[in-house]
Amino acid sequence: MNKTLLFILKKLGSLLATLVIMSFIIFMLVEIMPGDVAQMILGQSATPEAVSALREARGLNDPVLKRYGRWIAGVAVGDLGDSIYMQGVAINSILWRRVGHSIILALTAFIMFVPLSIFFGVLAGVKENKLSDSIISFFGLATMALPEFVSGVFLITIFAVQLKWFPIVSVIPIGESLFSNLNILILPALSITFVMFGYVSRMQRSSMIQVMNSDYIRAATLKGMPRSYVILRHALKNALLPTITIIGMNMGWLFGGLIVVETLFGFPGMGSLLMIAIKTRDVPLIEACVLLITVIFSLSTMTTDILYSFLNPRIRLQGGQR
Amino acid sequence: MKRTISIMLLILVLAVSVVFAGGDKEEAKDEKIIRIAEQVPGLITPGVWDGQAFSMNGSMYEYLAEMNPDTGELEPLLATAWETEDGSTWKFTLRKGVKFHDGSDFNAQDVKYTIERTQDPTIGHLKKQDFEVVSSIETPDNHTIILHLDEPRPTFVYQLTDYNMAILSSEYDYASLGESKPMGTGPFMMQQLIPKESALLVRNPNYWAEGLPIVDKLAIYFVPDIDASISMLESGRVDVVPFITQVIKTRLEKNPDIKVISPYQEMRFISMRVDEKPFDDNRVRLAFKYAMDPQIIARSVAQMDLNDGIFYNETPIMNILAEYKEIPLRGRDTKKAKALLAEAGYPNGVSVPMYYASDHPFGKELAQTVQELAAPAGFDIDLKGYTRDIYLSQYWMNVPLSITGWAGRPDPSMLLLLAFRGGGSWNESHIDNPKINALIDNISEEANEAKRLSYYHELQEVFYEEGSLIDVQVPLLIAVSNKIVNYRHPLTQIPQYKYMDVK
Repeated sequence: MNKTLLFILKKLGSLLATLVIMSFIIFMLVEIMPGDVAQMILGQSATPEAVSALREARGLNDPVLKRYGRWIAGVAVGDLGDSIYMQGVAINSILWRRVGHSIILALTAFIMFVPLSIFFGVLAGVKENKLSDSIISFFGLATMALPEFVSGVFLITIFAVQLKWFPIVSVIPIGESLFSNLNILILPALSITFVMFGYVSRMQRSSMIQVMNSDYIRAATLKGMPRSYVILRHALKNALLPTITIIGMNMGWLFGGLIVVETLFGFPGMGSLLMIAIKTRDVPLIEACVLLITVIFSLSTMTTDILYSFLNPRIRLQGGQR
Repeated sequence: MKRTISIMLLILVLAVSVVFAGGDKEEAKDEKIIRIAEQVPGLITPGVWDGQAFSMNGSMYEYLAEMNPDTGELEPLLATAWETEDGSTWKFTLRKGVKFHDGSDFNAQDVKYTIERTQDPTIGHLKKQDFEVVSSIETPDNHTIILHLDEPRPTFVYQLTDYNMAILSSEYDYASLGESKPMGTGPFMMQQLIPKESALLVRNPNYWAEGLPIVDKLAIYFVPDIDASISMLESGRVDVVPFITQVIKTRLEKNPDIKVISPYQEMRFISMRVDEKPFDDNRVRLAFKYAMDPQIIARSVAQMDLNDGIFYNETPIMNILAEYKEIPLRGRDTKKAKALLAEAGYPNGVSVPMYYASDHPFGKELAQTVQELAAPAGFDIDLKGYTRDIYLSQYWMNVPLSITGWAGRPDPSMLLLLAFRGGGSWNESHIDNPKINALIDNISEEANEAKRLSYYHELQEVFYEEGSLIDVQVPLLIAVSNKIVNYRHPLTQIPQYKYMDVK
């Protein structure tokens, strides 16, 4: 237990370092991007004098390191600052609502695709080269090859336009919360499921096949254990390892990278907010979004590692010894 | 495993608490509400307002005058009367008994503040240049304001109908509240604003005009994708979607519950840069004009007949304006175009890139049509389409041939100074023609209406002979549910929701 705690502390330490480095890189990247907030605001009518006056007024004329220092000093005390583009709008006031939406969408998708793809992956692996395997593998390949904006349009056409089961767009009616409109999550989550199902089920299938062909499973089968017991108690635990890695690695994307899905369904999440921030060169908002995505990504990697050690005692021991 | 589950639960609980922070409901019983899906606005504070979300700002803020969409005439709003002798001194009489949404009284100081604010360099005001001509402002009493201009501007009142010239309260801190708690004198007040997502506006109980607004609420959704907006309209979740494309219009025509209206035209300038090869030679510009076929452009761009919702000329003046002079169309003549090109030193034709905003309504269709029409005359056009923000920030103003969207101005002299006078800040074709400059100066300073009109006519002839543009006027398309009664949307671009009703 102590070792696990140490492990978590270590991970948190490296997360902090990652965040600092990450935030610096992003600051610099935005610096390199053509155009800045002053130019975005003045748009077509920008004369050099006007741009420079506005830059001065917004503190953009200070050296980049000074601006970075100012920003990170605020973050250190929990103040994400104001949007530099939308004057007077606190980032806290726009960010957290979207974060909530994105977490819920990611979790909904997670609840849908994880059991589904693991189940069918295992099934295909166990029934290797049988008809059910071919069907599952074909379906997995097909959904994997379909970009989410294609599968999304399919889903909309079938479930929203034809059957009218779900709303066409995932916009939250004004004054209502996401919770009174949970049905708007289904179609975006399904289209994410389409993308993820192929990856995860194929990964699960191949690792299942590998495990099923290993000596210890053969030994267990020869010992006369029931097949279902062998699969569930012995094979599955080991065959889950690569799958969990894949899922963990995709949590960051699920949380903040769903720009296409969010745009297609009009869902107010993190992805579209990040997109807006980048378009307007709004550094504090970009930083806030990216750092949150990094945190989620790191946390999910950490969870993956912990799960890993739970499933594979060998890793746990080695990790503790190191 | 337990730990994972508890982490997940913790995240879920956090998310729930954040999302449950709901707000006021959109619809209560017996309330009249108009729901609108608009593009996501960038900035919304007047002065730096980027011209998205017209329904929101146009309903919260007011101007000194508004335009009647049927007659095109200016009518009193916050100013009850205005007069000028020679165009260099303007006297406005202001409406009494008007209150801002925060309860403060509207008076001459507010108008003075609004105009002086244009020159504040820390704002980046988009109307700075147009108001540099104001030399001093007098406020003899609370409801009179006198503007003194450096030069006569007989049509200056139109400047005050520009959407960035909404009258602001001199006592309100727009620098820190303009984006989060916007406030004006308009018929609707902001009740709940979720930046980049939605806005709920409610009727202003203290609105000065009796019986207005007619509806109780405006619910405005900011939807980044036009197809998603249309889906909301088709499923009855919104009633109005402005700025749709021709393709969507065709699709909506089958729907009996929705009508597509075109209150006015917008311009697409096909602009040739005159200080660079090849368009520095007027013969090349003429050759290009001879290669065009307006009828084909109308059919293939908007599936409409020319002069029936779509117009074409070679000047900056829109066909629907009183200042327009009818000049017979050139007629397509590829042979003549080729000869002119050869004369200019391009016997084997000329290659030129054409830049345009691919996501602008009609942009791509127009670019492709122009490319095909110009090819037989010897113009090898390489199409360079970019999204609107990239096109405007990276390429516009610096390319030999471009297609740019321009809103029609109720007073064309504003546009002429900006885009066709040498030194104008949006002079995309870099034209600096002494004849044109002199005519533009005459137009903006001449107080006599008949004389001004004759300058306008002369200017259009010069443009026809040696100008730098082709002006295709495409319809502005707005999809409206049949439930909406009396949709009003004049050339000032500001829809007048206070007059509208829902069935």
